[in-house]
Amino acid sequence: MTPGGAEEVARVAAAVSDLVEQVFVTVARVHEAALRSIEREGPRAARWLLPDDVQELLRAPGQLAVGLGLVVAPRPAEGLPLRLEWWQVDPDGGELHTLEPDLRPTSLGYYDYTATEWYDVPRRTGRRHVFGPHVDVHGTGRYVLTLTEPVGAGNGFVGVAGADVPVRRFETHLLRTLGRLPAPFVLLNDEDRVVLSTAPRHLVGSLLPPAAGSTEGVRVPGAPWRLRLVDDGQLLAG
Amino acid sequence: MQLLSGDARRAVFAPLDDGALRSEAVVRRVGSAIALGLLADGEQLPTETDLATMLNVSTVTLREALAELRKLGLVETRRGRGGGSFVRSQEDVLAELADARLAELGTTDLRELGDVHSAAAAAAARLAASRASRTEIARLRDIVDRLASAGSVTGQRRTDGRYYIELAASAQSVRLTMQEMDLHLELGQLPWPPAHAPGLLDVIVAGHRAVIDAIEDRDAARARALTESHIETRTLWAIELRLQRLDELAALQREVS
Repeated sequence: MTPGGAEEVARVAAAVSDLVEQVFVTVARVHEAALRSIEREGPRAARWLLPDDVQELLRAPGQLAVGLGLVVAPRPAEGLPLRLEWWQVDPDGGELHTLEPDLRPTSLGYYDYTATEWYDVPRRTGRRHVFGPHVDVHGTGRYVLTLTEPVGAGNGFVGVAGADVPVRRFETHLLRTLGRLPAPFVLLNDEDRVVLSTAPRHLVGSLLPPAAGSTEGVRVPGAPWRLRLVDDGQLLAG
Repeated sequence: MQLLSGDARRAVFAPLDDGALRSEAVVRRVGSAIALGLLADGEQLPTETDLATMLNVSTVTLREALAELRKLGLVETRRGRGGGSFVRSQEDVLAELADARLAELGTTDLRELGDVHSAAAAAAARLAASRASRTEIARLRDIVDRLASAGSVTGQRRTDGRYYIELAASAQSVRLTMQEMDLHLELGQLPWPPAHAPGLLDVIVAGHRAVIDAIEDRDAARARALTESHIETRTLWAIELRLQRLDELAALQREVS
């Protein structure tokens, strides 16, 4: 680590933390809209809880999220099925569409969201969660970070409010914000998976082998992530 | 009707590549989508115009395909209010369709399909060894457990497809995941070998479990080699089945003459 390395790591950690908080501000807006609707009408199956204008959050200047909404907790006993109230930006045209995944267990394409960590961790812990990077298979089909928080009302857990941020967009924003790059670092999630890396040898999505880093890492406030400086010889030097 | 936007469904209604398309390709695509549960029994198909646009075929071709699907009993058309074309899932018809497709293909077609599947799945297995999290590994195991206990041909086929798709997702690759979905829509048009020899399901289950063990051991070379050899075995099953059919047909013709 170069002299002042600790300061540099703290600067990166703060920038990461800011980006995460920025997305959670959007998630909180979705959450509030859902709660207002539940207070007024109760968690009904027949129509969407989220009002239509929630989708406009996706058009806000500087928005990192490309998808957001409410993922409803199924209650088979009360006849409430699996349900998503989710909007996303079409990757090609930039138009907003609702996400309509296949929710039939008998299908090859079944989107079994109750088994995903972005749904299950907030449900179990009652706390917000940052999950990914992950291939959102059978859902959006993109490589994303999913940020969620539990939505609870009077009689318990209603579902999760959340937002998807493409890994590429997160990387572009963070690197632009940082300007001058510090010593090579990797951002790791709670599974030791690389979320972002400025060391070409450590690819996004790979798991960092236990002994690969030089330090244990600095926690990123507000996300289950750590930053670690890594040794990384130049590949292009020839 | 509201079209599902799940990525497997995207593949079902994706344009059929070559412009010079025959209605049989539409029939096969719809047949495999039913076999994989992507189109459910009783589900309404999009309107003829929408369906023709999505699949990139003329309405004339589409009507021919729908007529054939009706004749086979896989689609039912109701007139009037609330009318339209509805899916009818029938395992015996799907099996006949798969046999007919097998009879159409040469052994080199089967080898080609196996080659591509092997390339995609073996790469996914190799990458998963350094990228799949413990949760993802546990999910793969869970899928294989469900495959082992799946009762119907449709259930086995679907769960086997989910294994390969989830393997590619755990390799953190969107492209390999999409590739697996497209491949399974093609593989879903062929007979499911355990339907002809039930013992083969155990071979498939053991094959997948060995790959997951290698991934868990973080042994990329083993995960890859095991996947390649398993898919090669499956290609040989398909070729053997193809040749058997030819033999049966020849025997039948001898009896007739």
